Amino acid sequence: MSATGWLGYQWNVNIVGRTFLRVQRWQVEQRVGGPARWKSEYLTPPLTISPRAKELVARHWLEARYANLHRKVAWVTSGAPVELLKALDFFVIYPENHAAICGTARVAVEISSEAEDAGYSRDICSYARTDFGSMLSGKTPVGKLPKPDLLLACTNICQTVLFWYRVLARHFNVPLILIDTPFVYYDEAPEYAVQFVKRQLEEAIPTLERVAGRSLDERKLREVGRLSRMASQLWMEVMERNDHRPAPITAFDQFTQMAPIVEMRGDAATVDLYAAMLKEVDERIARGIGAVKNERKRLLWDNLPIWYRLRYLAEFLGEHGIAIVASTYTNAWGELATMIDPEQPFESMARTYTYPILNRGTGHKLATMKRMIEAYHLDGVILHSDRSCKPYSIGQMDQRDRLIRDCSVPALLLEADHNDSRCYSEEQVANRLAAFVEMLR
Amino acid sequence: MLSGIPHRTETIRAYKDRGGLVAAVLPIHYPRALLRAFDILPVEVWGPPKVEASYGAAHLQPYVCSIVRNALSFLQTGGLDGVDVIVVPHACDSLQGLGSILIDFIRPRQPVIPLYLPRGRRESDTAFFADEFRSMYRRLEEVTHCSPTNSELMESIRREEATDKLLAQLHQRSSCLALTQMEFYRLVRAREYLTAETFSELAQVALSQTIEAPKNGTPILLSGIVPEPMSVFESIAEMGGLVVADDLACCGRRLYPPGESEDAFYHMAESILHAPPDPTRGTPIQERRDYLLRLIAASGARGVAFYDVKFCEPELYDLPDLRIELQEAGIPSVGIEVDLNDPLSHQALTRIEAFLEMIA
Repeated sequence: MSATGWLGYQWNVNIVGRTFLRVQRWQVEQRVGGPARWKSEYLTPPLTISPRAKELVARHWLEARYANLHRKVAWVTSGAPVELLKALDFFVIYPENHAAICGTARVAVEISSEAEDAGYSRDICSYARTDFGSMLSGKTPVGKLPKPDLLLACTNICQTVLFWYRVLARHFNVPLILIDTPFVYYDEAPEYAVQFVKRQLEEAIPTLERVAGRSLDERKLREVGRLSRMASQLWMEVMERNDHRPAPITAFDQFTQMAPIVEMRGDAATVDLYAAMLKEVDERIARGIGAVKNERKRLLWDNLPIWYRLRYLAEFLGEHGIAIVASTYTNAWGELATMIDPEQPFESMARTYTYPILNRGTGHKLATMKRMIEAYHLDGVILHSDRSCKPYSIGQMDQRDRLIRDCSVPALLLEADHNDSRCYSEEQVANRLAAFVEMLR
Repeated sequence: MLSGIPHRTETIRAYKDRGGLVAAVLPIHYPRALLRAFDILPVEVWGPPKVEASYGAAHLQPYVCSIVRNALSFLQTGGLDGVDVIVVPHACDSLQGLGSILIDFIRPRQPVIPLYLPRGRRESDTAFFADEFRSMYRRLEEVTHCSPTNSELMESIRREEATDKLLAQLHQRSSCLALTQMEFYRLVRAREYLTAETFSELAQVALSQTIEAPKNGTPILLSGIVPEPMSVFESIAEMGGLVVADDLACCGRRLYPPGESEDAFYHMAESILHAPPDPTRGTPIQERRDYLLRLIAASGARGVAFYDVKFCEPELYDLPDLRIELQEAGIPSVGIEVDLNDPLSHQALTRIEAFLEMIA
């Protein structure tokens, strides 16, 4: 890194940027600090740690803006073995998270249109379209995305990511590392499949080291693995606290608080954040505070959130005393925590990254949902049939039928898209939710 | 003119009558020789078109492609009642989901064997794919109670490779064969269900009947998954076009080269992973472009028609970049989207016609 680059980074990120973010956090803390300032009649104010979480995420994107000045940048898929990259000091960007930010900020359709104008079909994933649109136009709500020096696609969430990252590889003309994780159709992955993943991880090292310009330090890899495991365990504990009635947070809160576990896994700050979050959640439990003021019914959410209507859905359900207390999506970033073994990084990464819920069969997801219904004392399930996410959505029709039959809970299939609001009909959703609420009474 | 291509139903019946078993195989890549070594005839299921799709719609959302929805409908309406095993290769998220719901929820009478396709061409991919075939071998042992030896497997492989060689010759010499393009593709696609022996006989007959005069028509290359409805070839011919080469998943992308290894499983893996570029096998876009340009140069095609099934993600992601790169190389292209349950629309025909006029 040049001296000018280093100075530019220090000035923009550590002096001006961080000061600005601290002030912004203070302002938000004042705004959400007391019930008098909170507008919702049905929902409890967000956790007081929320502004801190928001600052952490904002700092990540601030650093991202200037990352090309002083670090190598890797763009990775959300299920990628990020520990390797962190240990090699890559600055890691998650295009999926960026797309979700665009969705929450309600600019995803405008940005996706740039990709559609360039010929990308509306039938491909709306996350991918959002990021292609951003790549082609430079439009983004986070200021600026750093160019990647390396791409890493792991197929454990879908095959779409490989198609998506091949487009990125051609556009940016940088190496693309593929970690191919064979789909697990049955209870266990065959051992040769796990060894295949392990071998790919090991074979990726020379390319990673070449781009990083440094050698992999195994001690650092173990340390990152340890932090990754701790953060995932804490995140899981935060979610598991929702077995209490009333639930201290909702799945909608989890959706907004999950960014660090996805994009800052392996950082000490993420561990600190979730430790503090757990403490506050425990305080809420001790004081009998529920996220929904008058919690009467508890539901499970399946699939990605509808990013552009989180608040609307939370309010709509909250008005009827319904709390969505668990989600298969947020659960995915915690349930494998115990599989991470910092002392056997490659072996454990191979197993951990082969077993995400999205890389397992439709029967496994049904079993997970049944377990969650039991553990969280749930009264029903909303399955978001997400037009953009086929691997998550295929199987939902049978899963819904079996949940109704085997668990005697009502289950609703809600048609929408996680990022493209053109595939979402508010009137239709409201009608279906209203009918579902009636069934729950 | 080629006559006497046996029909799919009679082929299945004849094979079963002489004691063999039949496997329904979904798209795209699978080890034919392995199935035949167990005396199982692979019969491919690309949809099929125009089935009662509502049966599939009870399990699959409307944004799943018609190949996958139709395959499920076909199964549920008894279309696969006569088969003994169902093989579901992993080509995309939709086929992955179909395989999974068949195993977990629908549970057809026949055993369902999924097959994961690695997305690279590294040594580790080949080794893994060979292991997948070994696993498939064990499943087939359970189904058939047979255990073919390595030499029996190699014999089956050699038979299929000899047929694949003839298939490649058909493609290379398509312009001088005495077949209309419809007849040519009917013959080529008969490889989806005929035994290697029967197909080889037909291919040799076709290769022996050549014409001197060049075929008329504006030459184009057809890219995509499956040319359904097949009447598209007649329509192209009527509009003055001629398909001189293809990059279709069911045809040109499966011109498998022979493997090299002495180990039968590794040999089959090498063969499939070194087939022509295919997005479902993770081929980089640049490699696909280079391959298309080579095909265009060799065949004299003046343009490319991308003929895609709606919702087919593997095709849709590459399309904008491929079209730009072809344009830069002076090759015009057109994108046509179809659904297996619909006839070829007037809109699609008009686009093809306008495209042919443009490049004529």
